[in-house]
Amino acid sequence: MDIAELETKVIEFIASKAEKVDASNITNASRLEDLGFDSLDTVQLLFDAEEAFGVNFDGEEVRGLRSVGDIIDYITRHPPTASS
Amino acid sequence: MRVVVTGMGIVSPIGIGVDQFWNAAINGVSGISSIQSFDASNQHSRIAGEINEFNPACFLSAKQVTQTDRFTQLALHAANQAMADAGGLDNYQPRRLAVSLGSGMGGFSTFESSATRKLQNKSIPPFSVPRIMANSAAAWIATQFGLKGVNLTCSTACSSGANAIGMALDLLRSGKADAVVTGGAEACVLPLTMTGFEALQALSINFNADPVRASRPFAQGRDGFVMGEGAGILILEKEEEAIKRGARMYAQLAGYGCACDATHIVAPDMDGQVAAMQAAIDDAGIMPDQVDYINAHATSTPLGDVIETNAIKQLLGEHAWEIAISATKSMVGHSIGASAAIGSIATIMSLHTGTIHPTINLDVADPQCDLNYTPNRAIQKKVQVGMCNAFGFGGNNASLVFTTL
Repeated sequence: MDIAELETKVIEFIASKAEKVDASNITNASRLEDLGFDSLDTVQLLFDAEEAFGVNFDGEEVRGLRSVGDIIDYITRHPPTASS
Repeated sequence: MRVVVTGMGIVSPIGIGVDQFWNAAINGVSGISSIQSFDASNQHSRIAGEINEFNPACFLSAKQVTQTDRFTQLALHAANQAMADAGGLDNYQPRRLAVSLGSGMGGFSTFESSATRKLQNKSIPPFSVPRIMANSAAAWIATQFGLKGVNLTCSTACSSGANAIGMALDLLRSGKADAVVTGGAEACVLPLTMTGFEALQALSINFNADPVRASRPFAQGRDGFVMGEGAGILILEKEEEAIKRGARMYAQLAGYGCACDATHIVAPDMDGQVAAMQAAIDDAGIMPDQVDYINAHATSTPLGDVIETNAIKQLLGEHAWEIAISATKSMVGHSIGASAAIGSIATIMSLHTGTIHPTINLDVADPQCDLNYTPNRAIQKKVQVGMCNAFGFGGNNASLVFTTL
């Protein structure tokens, strides 16, 4: 999957989980908080993203993920896990 | 001060909503079938009373579904019905509105699924803990309806629902609340839970090919209980307040008694059962010979049904043969912490309608079970005093007495 394709898929995925935001209004710069995800919603979003993208969101680094771009960046830097 | 029931809601294997449940109950419909919710081919007991038509997305958002275990979802659905039935509790101050709920296992569905993931070295859902915790259902009910007073959860295994309702009565009598949403919820038709009860040889294993005949309290050939699931919710208020706001009143909750065997962690004991029933009768201020009907705990285990029969004889003497008894579990199975809430609704409906639902699968009774268990067909009988029994692991016995108004 190239980076543009990944970006589209992550944005579509986040839009599917956001309660009131359309994918067309989400960019890499969008902050999760501004899309309606509080801190607990964000951990749930990342848990759901594990299944969707085959990546484990684990460790200290995960707590710093604030924007859509942060998530895309994290996925590109972590290879899919065998268990997912 | 009298405490009355002004609303009821139920989710059960034989019906969602009191009307559907009661119509099925008086017609002797069984809700027991082969397990649908998971592959039970490796279980010894492959049958259960499941609620197959239940869809939480009908009344919860996708996010709420994610954040709740099935036992909470069942409780919320029953609470929605009960609150609507009572016409809402807007007359009261939110801080005076309490919840008292029972559950034996809490969010065990989430526990099993999250534990499975952890053992596979996978991450677990972030809401695992708030889904599993036993007070999750009570907290969600409070949140949904803005009930800001006392919020209690009772976990005493199979008697959880009865103790929760009894605790609600105590809250109203002591002045700690003006109205209480109470009852029980359980969702443990699950591989680990069932295997645990199988290991104790507590579940029926001889009727996998004929599920509707498996739950057969007091009958010959019974070989253990059938796992069930469900929720039953009551709205309790003080009678004078209920009258003031023009609420419909189904019955009075007149007495609550509990007693611990303090003998064995799982084996039932007659003395403890007699003590709980006697305490409930004393609390109601009535005499034992005024009891017209008993909704028995009657799980369909070989030992338990005989001991309860003996306990009723000990309590009532000759009067034991004059009353009607029935076992709701013959139709819905044993829903652990929800069972006494469901049994209470059956008891209240008997008082309210003058019909007693049957104990099904009772063609030939165990010779040691020789009372009138209302075999196979409902009967018409004016009931003024009905008692609901619940006896749980831990030697925990609880009885509730409901009376007509």
